[in-house]
This record gives sequence, C-alpha cells and structure tokens, in this order.
Amino acid sequence: MSNSKLNILVLLREVCDPRTPVRLMEKGAGIRDKEVRRIPNPADLGALEQALGFRDAGSAQVTVVAVGPKRLDDSLRLALSMGADRVIRIWDGGLKGGDAVAEARVLSRAIEILKPDLFFCGNRLLDRGSDPAPAVAAAARGIPYVTAALSLARFEGGLEILRKGDKGARLKVATSIPCAVFFEDGLRDPRYPSQDALMRSVEGKVESWGLPELGLPFWELGGTGALLQEAEYGLPRPNPLRVTTPDANLPAYERILALLSGGIKAREGKMHTGSVEDVADGLFRIIKAEGLLPETQG
Amino acid sequence: MMFQHLFSPLKLGSVEVKNRISFQPHLTNLAVKNLPSERQMYYWGERAKGGAGLIITEELTVHPTDMAYEKLIDVYHAEVVPGFRKVTDYVHQFDAKIFAQLNHNGQQGDGSISRLPVWAPSPIPDVLFRETPKEMEHEDIEEVARYFALSAVHVREGGFDGIELQFGHSSLARQFLSPLTNFRSDEYGGSLENRMRAPLKFISAVRKAVGADFPVGIRMCADEMIPGGLDLAQVQEICARFEASGLIDFMDLSIATFYNLYLVEGSMHTPLGYTIPLAAGVRERLKLPVFCTGRINDPVMAEKVLAGGQADMIGMCRALICDPFLPKKAQEGRLEDIRYCIACNQGCIGRIGMNKSLGCVQNPAIGREKEWGEGTLERAAVKKKVTVVGGGPAGMWAAKMAGRRGHDVTLYDRNETLGGQVRTAMKGTGRDEFGVIIRNEKEQVDKAGVRVKLGAEVTAGQVLADKPEVVIVATGSVPKEHPVGGADGPSVYNVWQVLDGKPELGQKVCLIDYDGHHRATATAEFLADQGKTVHMITSSLFIGAELGPTQDLYLTRQRLLQKGTTFTPDIAVMEIGGETGAKTVKGFNVYSNVWEEWGPFDSIVLAMGQRVEEALYKELKGKVKELYRIGDSVAPRKVDMAIWEGHRVGREI
Repeated sequence: MSNSKLNILVLLREVCDPRTPVRLMEKGAGIRDKEVRRIPNPADLGALEQALGFRDAGSAQVTVVAVGPKRLDDSLRLALSMGADRVIRIWDGGLKGGDAVAEARVLSRAIEILKPDLFFCGNRLLDRGSDPAPAVAAAARGIPYVTAALSLARFEGGLEILRKGDKGARLKVATSIPCAVFFEDGLRDPRYPSQDALMRSVEGKVESWGLPELGLPFWELGGTGALLQEAEYGLPRPNPLRVTTPDANLPAYERILALLSGGIKAREGKMHTGSVEDVADGLFRIIKAEGLLPETQG
Repeated sequence: MMFQHLFSPLKLGSVEVKNRISFQPHLTNLAVKNLPSERQMYYWGERAKGGAGLIITEELTVHPTDMAYEKLIDVYHAEVVPGFRKVTDYVHQFDAKIFAQLNHNGQQGDGSISRLPVWAPSPIPDVLFRETPKEMEHEDIEEVARYFALSAVHVREGGFDGIELQFGHSSLARQFLSPLTNFRSDEYGGSLENRMRAPLKFISAVRKAVGADFPVGIRMCADEMIPGGLDLAQVQEICARFEASGLIDFMDLSIATFYNLYLVEGSMHTPLGYTIPLAAGVRERLKLPVFCTGRINDPVMAEKVLAGGQADMIGMCRALICDPFLPKKAQEGRLEDIRYCIACNQGCIGRIGMNKSLGCVQNPAIGREKEWGEGTLERAAVKKKVTVVGGGPAGMWAAKMAGRRGHDVTLYDRNETLGGQVRTAMKGTGRDEFGVIIRNEKEQVDKAGVRVKLGAEVTAGQVLADKPEVVIVATGSVPKEHPVGGADGPSVYNVWQVLDGKPELGQKVCLIDYDGHHRATATAEFLADQGKTVHMITSSLFIGAELGPTQDLYLTRQRLLQKGTTFTPDIAVMEIGGETGAKTVKGFNVYSNVWEEWGPFDSIVLAMGQRVEEALYKELKGKVKELYRIGDSVAPRKVDMAIWEGHRVGREI
C-alpha cells in the first residue's frame, strides 16, 4: 500500500471575508451580496497544502472539489495553479438553501463516486466556525474522521494523526485508510503559485457536476432536503468599549467631559506672546524641536 | 437603508418594538383633573404617527403622598382606565407600542398640593423642594409597593403594552438606593443589599400584578454625578443585581438628580449625546436591552450609538417634541427636512418648571396636535397675493405656512441671509446652536414655494406697488436707543452691536443686565473670551435671573466666574457718565435705596431692552386690504412668540 499513490480529495469552501462589514437584506432575508468579499476558507487552503505535500513527494494524486455557483471556479483555478490534478465544481440551482445534512448528502455522494483514500478539509470556517457537513458525509460513508488535526504520518495500512486534545493536550490517534482528516488553520501557509502556473490554470479544466452527474434525487437536496429552514438573519449585539467611572470628586460637568473623552486628556496648547518676530521665532523653535524641519546648515 | 440599526426591531420582554426610537417620559402638564386628557392622546399619538416605535408616558403618580406637580395623573385611581384605553387605542393604530411610567417622587416634591407629608427613606429634605419628609415606616413601604401593584393593574387594563418604573433622577426608589438619601439602620438601609430591598419590593409587586408576559422595565439613574452619591461603578452593580432578579425586561437610563438638574435635561451648553458613555458602561454588564437618552437629536448619531454597541434603544425626548416626524423623515432619507432640537429648553423644560403646559420654541403645534398637527393644514380657499416683510423667525414661519397653503408669497428681508435677530443672538458664547433655527426653516421656506428677496429694504410705496392682498409685517425690534441717562454718550453700546463685532471695546467693560437672559450673559462671556475684564450690574437678585427654568443658569454662571466676570445685583442703574476710558455707572440699591457709583470703565454695554420696528406697519395701515403685524414688531419678546405668531397668521390668512 505504501508504494501505491494516495488518492486525496480536498474540499474547498468559500467564506465571507470578516474584515468587511456585513449588511443585511431587508427584513433579514439574507446577507447582501453587494460589498461582500468572498475568499476561499483559509483552513481549507491549508488542508490543500497538506495534500500537495504528499503530491510533491510523489505519493499522491490530489482532487479538489467545491460546492457552489460559478464564482467558485476562481478558487478552483487557484487550486489548479497550486498543483491540484483535478478540480470539480458541483452545483445546481436546487442545492440552494440546504442545511448541513443536505450538504452532507452531496459530499457523501462525491466521496462515493471519487473513492478517495483521504478526504481533507479545514477544521473550521473562518466566518461561521464549525461546519458539520464533512463529518456527517464521512459518517454516512462509514469512514473514520479526525477533527482538529495538526500533523499526520503514514504507516503501513494506515495513518497516525496528531490532533488537539482537551485543555491544550495533544492526542495521537491511529486510523485505517480511507479516512477523513480536518486540519486546524495556520499549520502550513498555502503556497503562492507561480505566474506560469496561474496563467496555465486559466486554461485548465474545471469539471462541472450537476444533479445528473451526482445521480441524487432533488428532494434530498437544497432547501427541500434540509431538516432546518432559514428563518431570519440578524446582527449580534456588539460589545461597547469599556467605560471607566470618573473620579467622583470631580465637578459633575468635568465628569461628563471625562466620560465623553474616554479618559483621554487633550494636550494643552502653549501660548506664545510677544512681538511678531518673537512669535515667529518661537514657532520656528517648536517646529525644529518636533523634527519637522530637514537638517540644514546655518 | 441609511439607518439599518435604528430601524431594526427590538424585543422588550414579550413585546417587539418596530424600531429603536423611544419617545421618552417627560411631564406635559396636559392632564385634566389628574386624568389622561384628549390633548395627551393626540400629543403621544402624533409621535407614534411620526414613526417612533415606542412611546413612554410621563410619570404617573402611584400614591397620594406623591403630588410633586399639580397636573400629574393619579394612576392608582381606577378612573384612569377608560381614558388610557382611548390613548392606547389611538397610539396603537400607528403601529407603535406604548408603555406607562409609574413613579413615586419620594422627597423630591412637597406636600403643598397633596396636603400630606412627603415620604422618603430618611428625613433628608430635597435640595430643590426643601421640605423635610417623613421617614417611611415599614407599613408605608408595604403600602407603596401595594399601590405600585394596583397602578400596574390599571395600566394593563388601560391597554398599555408595558410598564417602566421610574427609579431614576427623581424617584423614591433611587432615594432608597443612594447613600446620599438613605440613612436607615433597619433592613432597608446600610448595605447595598438592604438599600435594594424596597426597590425590589416595588418591582416584584408590579411583576406579580401584571404576570410574567407583560414587559416591565426600570429607569435607573446611571450616575448621580455628585460626590457621595451613586456613580457608574455602583450603578453597574445595582443594575446587574436587578437583572439577576429575573423580574425586569429592559433598563432605561437617566442621569443626575436635583442636585444637578442641569444635567438631567442638558441644555445647549452640554455636549450632544452627553450620557452615551454611561449607557455603554451599564450595557457592559447587562444582557437586557439598555436605553440611552440625552441630547441625541440626530438619527446619524443614534445609528452610531447602536452600531457601536453603546445602547440598544435610543431615547429621544426633546428631539421628538421639536419634530415628531424625525423617525419617518430619517427612514425616508429626508434628513434636510428634520427640524433639529436646539436644547434651548425654553418651552419644554422652562414652561413645565413654571407649571405651564408643555411648549416648544420651534414647534407651535405642540399640545395642540388635534387642531394643528400633521395633516390639519388645509389649502386656502382663495389664493391670495401675500407679502411678508422681514425674514426673521416670525416672517419665515408666516411665509412658509402661507406658501404651503397655496398662497402666492413673497418674503423680503433687508439682509443678505434669512434669520433676523437669530443671526446675531447665535454669536453669543455657547449659543451657536441657536442658529439651527434658521437652518431648520430656510429650506422649508423654499420648499413652500415662497419667493425670497434678500438684500431688499422695502418701503411702503414698494410694497403697495406690488398690489398685495395681504401684507404681514415682521420687521422685528432693535435695542432701545436711550434706555438710561447717558446712553447716548461715547463708548456706550448695546449687545447686538457688540455681538455683531462692530465697536472696538476697551479692556474694562461694564455690562448692564436688565435682560436676565442669554442676551446679557452670552454677551458678557463673549467679551470675557476676548480677554476683557467684565463687570455685570443687574437690577435682579442675581445675574442670569431668567436662566433658572431652562437649566442654563448653573453652567453659565460657572463659566462666567471661571472667566473672571464679577457681578453686582440689586441695582437700578440711573445714569451713565464719564468720558471714554473713564466711564462711570450711577445707580441705587433697590432694597436699601443707597446710591453708588461704579467705574472707571473703558466701555459700557447695555442689555436694557428692545423697541419695536413699526414704521412700515404704521405707513401701511389703512392702505392694504389685510394687514398683520407679528413677532417683535408688535412687542419685543422671545423667539417662541415670533414663531407662534408667524405660524398662526400663516394658517389664518
């Protein structure tokens, strides 16, 4: 087994870049697409990098799969340029509005078709945190899955995986192949593809699978197949900056000012009086002392 | 939408409020025979119509020993229920919620109206009312709790959506909580746990009476702002304990007490949104929705407070007194149409403090929404040609109202901009926000289709040449030329000249204050800010005698003193003498009748009254079909009357 090439399937999911503010649609119907920046989930890219590590050693073939609309082709082309052998985008209008269970059905079917030895993805999503779909899919296929993985080593007939245990401890687990491994974020920086690879990926083939390719009935998928229905989006209650109680012996008005300034005191201004020459001289000295003038002779 | 936080719904217990704007409790003096009145129904209803999600009524008195103000509603009488039904039905048709505020003022009142002793935790008189209260016995505390519960039942039967208990700046509950007013040695005083016992009793009595599904919240004083009183850190702890009781659904906040009433209802001299950090501080510790009130007169600021997580609900009080339709205008993005409150405090706080009905300088329709509210303005039956002379507040309002009714209106002003005397008054120190009055109306005058002709000093002949059917004279007033002997001498100026920056004044200035209002004090400060030494002489008992009711007195005097201004009260000024550089003021003490002389001063500034500008009116009299005279040109008064008369004549012609 150790001599045969591993067939690794990597799941690439997209997330909203949390650095741009989120705006909601009218009546919380969803998140506004406008102004939202979507990026590949960093932990998934990390998982892809793990897979590509094996490929670099000549011991693996890497397939990347993404579930979502056309715009995900960009992420898949990135995977191609990083070195993936095959990329597949699965989408159908009927997949919209699915919950984790409905999504897991799609992933499970993909695993069934592609028969990978290893199924990789990130442990958490950057924006929403945990995503149970990959684990549910693995369970549905009856293959073991390891969450919060930190590193893995291959041995005869299986894998030894170091994962996070309770209270910061590390736990080693052994598993047979096939299995699913969900990596922690930040273990490896995803490689930066070369310009040539990027250009090649533009021409590269992104396979597109729909319901016929999956061979799944529509009623098991998307909103119709979901056990949970989306009700309404809202924004969480933000936490204000900490407020410190001002000195109770200050006059009330000064306490108000202290509260409003957040305890920051403005620097006091300096008065320079005298003749125009004196004032100009004073100003010149200040500007010089502040280092705002270039050093010159004289 | 521009204000996505402001117009998102909020759950207060079992009730969902459609947006984050609450019209906060305040006295209206509109109740009749201590029962809810029709005027109140229209008053609160107008704010609901204007888009506020929540209306909280004025304090309703829960017990006979609390009659701090003559026109409070006695909610402990079952008689209030039918009236409240009408009020709540009316408000509900606008998709707003309405809560009732229950209060016992404790020692912050006196027995002159109730003819009963006032009750308090300890026999400590309030600083404002100065009546020593009766120290409450245990059965008194039980009785107040029972009355709170009884009142709550009436509130629920009256169709309200919830209850707010006033534990804030003026309340018996706060007097129990505060170490400044609670000196008891029994289980109701001493430790925080003991001090919270009576307020918790009131809350649980109310909760028991209304059931678990009815929203009940409290209004806490976020900081008493006086040494020895409750400060933010202590209030955070108290609020957390109230929350932990599981009996309340929201936390409304107020600030200060009667020791510093000028902070309870901050005037133009306090910063906008001056209580926001306190709300943020309380909210840090709570899961419950927290309200923030205090000079948030602008939806942009409100949105920022919500987005920044400093509060969950924006309390607007004066902002909606001034413009009931602020929420709707904000939602529709019509910010240019919002009439912003300037916190002049003359109508809302000044009038209430003097036991008059609620007023607003900028909103003459207040308390008369039935006759003058939104939708009552009818198009004129006959379109008339109207000429308005004078573009001060009176003229602007007359032109605007007439224009809206479809008249053909021309507004003349001799200056290059509209605003009249407001443009001068706003130059006084700390009075710049007064100028917002002009900003608020200027655009509305244009939108009403009024032709505005500026820089036009019109004569009677020119007015008549246009052949108008109606002429409205709003030519205002000017300072009296000769209010006292020697006023025509050298180096004597009036306040308007000084604020307009025309005369060059000397270092030592004496300001004669027969005004008692900002005209004098803001000018004195204006001069002090220029580094001048200012001495003020007044016939009143003190400088700023008119500034008490509007809560401007404290900070005005504080700043004047800090800037080295000196005062001489009780003086009738009779003669100004001397030459430039050695001016003198002669007068006598109105009580002792002893004559005195002050000086030498470099310059004298007079705030000694105005006289009407009525020449045009007199010339036109008898020559026009309909001739009206409004505002200061009738008799020099304040801007509230100018707007009132402008509004009225604009409606009537």
